[in-house]
Amino acid sequence: MKDSASRNIIALSTTALALPGIALADAPPTQSTISYKLSNYQEDDLSRSETPFGDLERYDIDVHQFQLVSPLGRNMSLHVDANYESLSGASPWYTSRSLDGEPIVNLSGASGISDRRTELSIGSRYYLENGSFGGNIGYSEEDDYRAIYFGFNTEKHYNNDLTTVSAGLSYSSDKVFPTDAALFNRVEEDDKQSSSLFVSVSQIINQVSSFQSALSFTEQSGFLSDPYKLRDFRPDDKTQIAWSNSYRRFFVSANAALHVNYRYYHDDFGISSHTSDLSWHQNLGRTFQIVPTLRYYNQSAAEFFTNVDDFLNPISEYQSSDYRLSAFGAVSGGFSVIADMNSWKITLTAERYLANDKYSAYDVSLPSTALVKYNRISLGIDFRF
Amino acid sequence: MRQFRTTLLMSICSLMLISCADVRAWERGYLAREEMAWAPDALESSLNDHIFFSKEASSGGNNAAGGGCGCN
Repeated sequence: MKDSASRNIIALSTTALALPGIALADAPPTQSTISYKLSNYQEDDLSRSETPFGDLERYDIDVHQFQLVSPLGRNMSLHVDANYESLSGASPWYTSRSLDGEPIVNLSGASGISDRRTELSIGSRYYLENGSFGGNIGYSEEDDYRAIYFGFNTEKHYNNDLTTVSAGLSYSSDKVFPTDAALFNRVEEDDKQSSSLFVSVSQIINQVSSFQSALSFTEQSGFLSDPYKLRDFRPDDKTQIAWSNSYRRFFVSANAALHVNYRYYHDDFGISSHTSDLSWHQNLGRTFQIVPTLRYYNQSAAEFFTNVDDFLNPISEYQSSDYRLSAFGAVSGGFSVIADMNSWKITLTAERYLANDKYSAYDVSLPSTALVKYNRISLGIDFRF
Repeated sequence: MRQFRTTLLMSICSLMLISCADVRAWERGYLAREEMAWAPDALESSLNDHIFFSKEASSGGNNAAGGGCGCN
């Protein structure tokens, strides 16, 4: 009887150890998964009061994402990611003042922009008894932008696998070559480099909850301005720091998982931000799951942000009216329905995002006129074999 | 200030040690569930990171940055 009980415990332990995620998601995959997600991202048009002249239509983007994760021998895994995006629409070109003194925005080109982005990334991971390490290399190309990047990361378990320490670094070499450079007096070609490193600690708190804290540093140098804006001069280096915290808790009686994430960010353009999001993963029987998500984002403005371009400023003076450098807040909500049928999993997601200077907890002395509102819908399919 | 930081660090470490139970491997069934992963849907996370990177000034956090884009 005692032997039988021991055998059961050993069998249970072995099964538990073989489950992916049991030691904070660090075990080689036991089967291959191929995933595809099709998304449509559509920004709301600007109003005529914000843009008195020209086009009002903003970006409409279709995104195709492919991923293959497969075991490679007994201790390795292979990861292949491919993305294809096609976009059309217009983006803010310059800002000025209306007759009544309010800032207004003018969008690029009467016929808008049309572009494509293709990205391929290949990576591999080797799993050890007490950790793992892996790397990836990737290439991304647009009509006017190219990036080559690579990364390496490792993780190790301590304290009976209750604690996991991870660290990683990445490097990206980018080249920008704007279209119609001569026609619009844009820079013809320039470079940008980004180096990034992170370290994180994950801790199992008890049988139903875990916590992760991570710190990342990114250093960018080179051409950091927006070549498509009529007046955009930014410093040629930027240091970014982000501290993120994640908490997961499973509620046994509700058969649901709660995700809570928070991130603090700061860079030497003078921007600080706070990001919080919550999601509730509610299982419905063995097949279905619904996931409502809520996110709140809040940032301060860059030191050189202006909401009305000053064409009399010398070009040696930093200046940008890019709405992404203004102080604003954003609220977004999403809802996913997931059907998991053995080998197949289908995920439908809808999301609404609203950015507004009134949502910001920071002081908004120069409100931007071109803040984004968008809808996003996605259909994802996973096949395990 | 230095004393405050040391106290804060020691408090956090103590809190973690006190509050973390010794969870055996066979007691981690709930933690192993897919919906308990840090990022249960890799493509969804990657897409959201890309959109927020393009439309907000902040990025980074729990991983190293990948390649950039000319997102305007």
